[in-house]
Amino acid sequence: MSFPRAVAFLWWASLRNRVRRQLQRLRQPKYLVGLVVGGAYLYAIVLRRLSFQRATEELPPGARMVAELSLGGMLMLSLVSAWALGQDRPALTFSETEVQQLFAAPISRRGLLHYKLARGLFGAAVAAFFTTIFIGRVVSPHPVLFFLGATVALGTVNLHVTAASFVRTRLARLGWPGVALRWGVLLGLFAAFGLAVYVSILAHPLPEDTGQRGALEAWFSGLLEQPALRVALWPGRALVALPMAGGAGDFLQALPLALGLFVAHYVWVAALIVPFEEAVVVRAEQVARKRGQRVARVGHIVMRKPFFRLGSLGRPEVALMWKNLIAARRLGGTEIILILGLLGLAAPVGAAFFAPEAVPIVRQTMAGIFLALAAMFTVFGPVSLRSDLRMDLPKLDMLRAMPLTGRQVVAAEVLALGLLLGILEAGLLVLAIGLVAGAPGRWGIELWVAGGLGVLPVLPALSVGGVLVQNAAVVLFPAWLPANGERARGIEAMGQRLLTLAGALVVLMGGLIPAAIVAGLVGFALYGLLGLWALPFAGLTAAAGLAFEVALGLVALGRAFDRMDVSSEGPGAA
Amino acid sequence: MPPTDTSPDDRPAPVPPALEVVSLEKAYGAVKAVQGLTFQVAPGEVLGLVGPNGAGKTSTLRCLAGILPVSSGRVVVGGHDVAVEPVKAKRALAFLPDEPRLFEYLTVWEHLNFVARLYGVEGWEDKARALLSEMELVGKEKALPGELSRGMKQKLSIACGFLHEPRLILLDEPLTGLDPLGIRRMKASLRKRAEQGAALVLSSHLLPLVEELCHRILVITGGRAVALGSLAEIRAQLSGAEAGSASLEELFIRITRSGGEERPEPPAV
Repeated sequence: MSFPRAVAFLWWASLRNRVRRQLQRLRQPKYLVGLVVGGAYLYAIVLRRLSFQRATEELPPGARMVAELSLGGMLMLSLVSAWALGQDRPALTFSETEVQQLFAAPISRRGLLHYKLARGLFGAAVAAFFTTIFIGRVVSPHPVLFFLGATVALGTVNLHVTAASFVRTRLARLGWPGVALRWGVLLGLFAAFGLAVYVSILAHPLPEDTGQRGALEAWFSGLLEQPALRVALWPGRALVALPMAGGAGDFLQALPLALGLFVAHYVWVAALIVPFEEAVVVRAEQVARKRGQRVARVGHIVMRKPFFRLGSLGRPEVALMWKNLIAARRLGGTEIILILGLLGLAAPVGAAFFAPEAVPIVRQTMAGIFLALAAMFTVFGPVSLRSDLRMDLPKLDMLRAMPLTGRQVVAAEVLALGLLLGILEAGLLVLAIGLVAGAPGRWGIELWVAGGLGVLPVLPALSVGGVLVQNAAVVLFPAWLPANGERARGIEAMGQRLLTLAGALVVLMGGLIPAAIVAGLVGFALYGLLGLWALPFAGLTAAAGLAFEVALGLVALGRAFDRMDVSSEGPGAA
Repeated sequence: MPPTDTSPDDRPAPVPPALEVVSLEKAYGAVKAVQGLTFQVAPGEVLGLVGPNGAGKTSTLRCLAGILPVSSGRVVVGGHDVAVEPVKAKRALAFLPDEPRLFEYLTVWEHLNFVARLYGVEGWEDKARALLSEMELVGKEKALPGELSRGMKQKLSIACGFLHEPRLILLDEPLTGLDPLGIRRMKASLRKRAEQGAALVLSSHLLPLVEELCHRILVITGGRAVALGSLAEIRAQLSGAEAGSASLEELFIRITRSGGEERPEPPAV
């Protein structure tokens, strides 16, 4: 079997098996429900966008020109970055599997290059498809023509990036003269572009009365038609001429130039091919290492000391909390509270030096910002910080082997992150109250302090509740979570994610309502007696209610964790 | 002298088993991975678990470690039923998987600290230093797992497993990733634990290793036990003129290829 036929077989078999597997998965209700929800979402968000004709008719005059310029500008930026950014080595990325399977096979370097170029063209078509859906609707009344044109344009840019990397590799071999030559040409082109803009503005200056309707648009349109700027912008315009064609006639007219550019770039790449194997292997290892970190659900690790020293005796689940707090500290950058605190102090101090009269308003503003941040940590903290069971998902079997009950494991995993968020939120609230203490404004110090004390126990309790809900998904529906650190693919996976998010919100709201009702009753009953100072008692009641619900949840989840079969339900399960 | 050459009389005197497995079954949906396994391992005994790929070795080990719930049957570790008293049973054992599972953000020393708290190991620091020395990890205390080689990670995983001096050690391909010197040291280390009274269940495809270290061998295929006993006992149970001098490798091939036709007598406990 020839290499092209082998590649065709590989791609066809991969696609067929993937579709087959996805269809088989639909026998399970969770995937079927996910498909229905994901399909409905796709229809609502994406497919309804395909009403091109109506959208373009509503396009204001001049917007098309701006769109054309923007698209062309983006493509030109890609071309420039290929020459100015990155490293002087071949810009070809193969996976480790491709390196192992193809590089050891009897395939020439040119064959490997063609394989990669074909994949690049396929990638360009996929990118063109999404561009057509999200941008094409606005800028072109012909989706098919836009898609075909965008495929050719993006394919050409892909070839240019590859060719540029080959040229840079060759120049780098020359040493500093090569680098100097590249930067000399680049700077010369930048200067020429700047000169073209300058000359064009001189020849076509901005009108004095720009307030007139359409005056600015007319001036800009005229500027773009200046000879110097036409030359300078030619590459971008040539690339977008095909997708932006106004009809079949325009498309056919622009086609020879676009295809000519595409073919010329291919010839350029094929002629300048350089040995790329070593760079590819290094790149494949880098990608694999990043993937490994993703699998382990860790990002960049910064060595910081543990929050406290862990003795060997005492409750064993504290070890898990200790571990998770270390993870949050080394992966999450919990020093943000310190930075915020310093900012909070620095702003009023700065104001006191330079504008003493503005100190009260600055203190109130900073207090408001800290309050908003505390609320943001409460809502988004449990979702975005993941040093709990979500992080330990690939190691569920390891957790199961530990001499801990399910309740101990779940409690430690939830409370570590909950404790951290609670401390952050309490710190922000204390900062806010401290800042307004001397400048309470029209709300008065009593409302600030009573309200602050009322919220102080509620926010941490809400955070713990939020973390519990996120962890419940891991314990109750582990197979719904992406396996092996990968983003699960397919419409059904997207539907599952939407359902998980909606479910988490519903459960959290459901837990909040009873606590809020009881707290409201307590606050109302005490208001006549204590006035504003009923707020802390109402807050305490709400927090106690939430804590009770969390405790019940921990017991239930602990039991579920004990019963959980990590082989059939966990990530990676077939 | 290799333990396989010892006669049953030379083995440790009968004492309450460190591990007792009765009619263990594990099914994944309709697929039965383990069926009717029954065996015991005495303190100080090393049991080799061998079988072809997909025979159910790892499933068996994960059931013994309490990671997977058994479908039916009973697993008792140090007198504690894993299903009834999982925490007490797990305190008595260590499970060392073939792929070391470490926390990427904890240093070598912090891993040992973490395990010490989990198992309540008094005076853990001295024991940890001794283990690091034994595993040739001295000087790597502050290293993160990402800075360690595959073999070093394996050694750290083993050190964590040994720290609480378990009565039962379950090993799944323990020598994967170790260099020849590391393999020699690890074999000595495993022998030392057995001599100190720990029971070992060692799953490996390295048959010479199993032959060298194990007192008894359990051969499983298709999730069922097809042979259990010392090498001499398995040889004796097998029919055929060549069985008398056959190596474990030859016996393994004959047992697993025969598809049950040329099996020894039903395995004894």
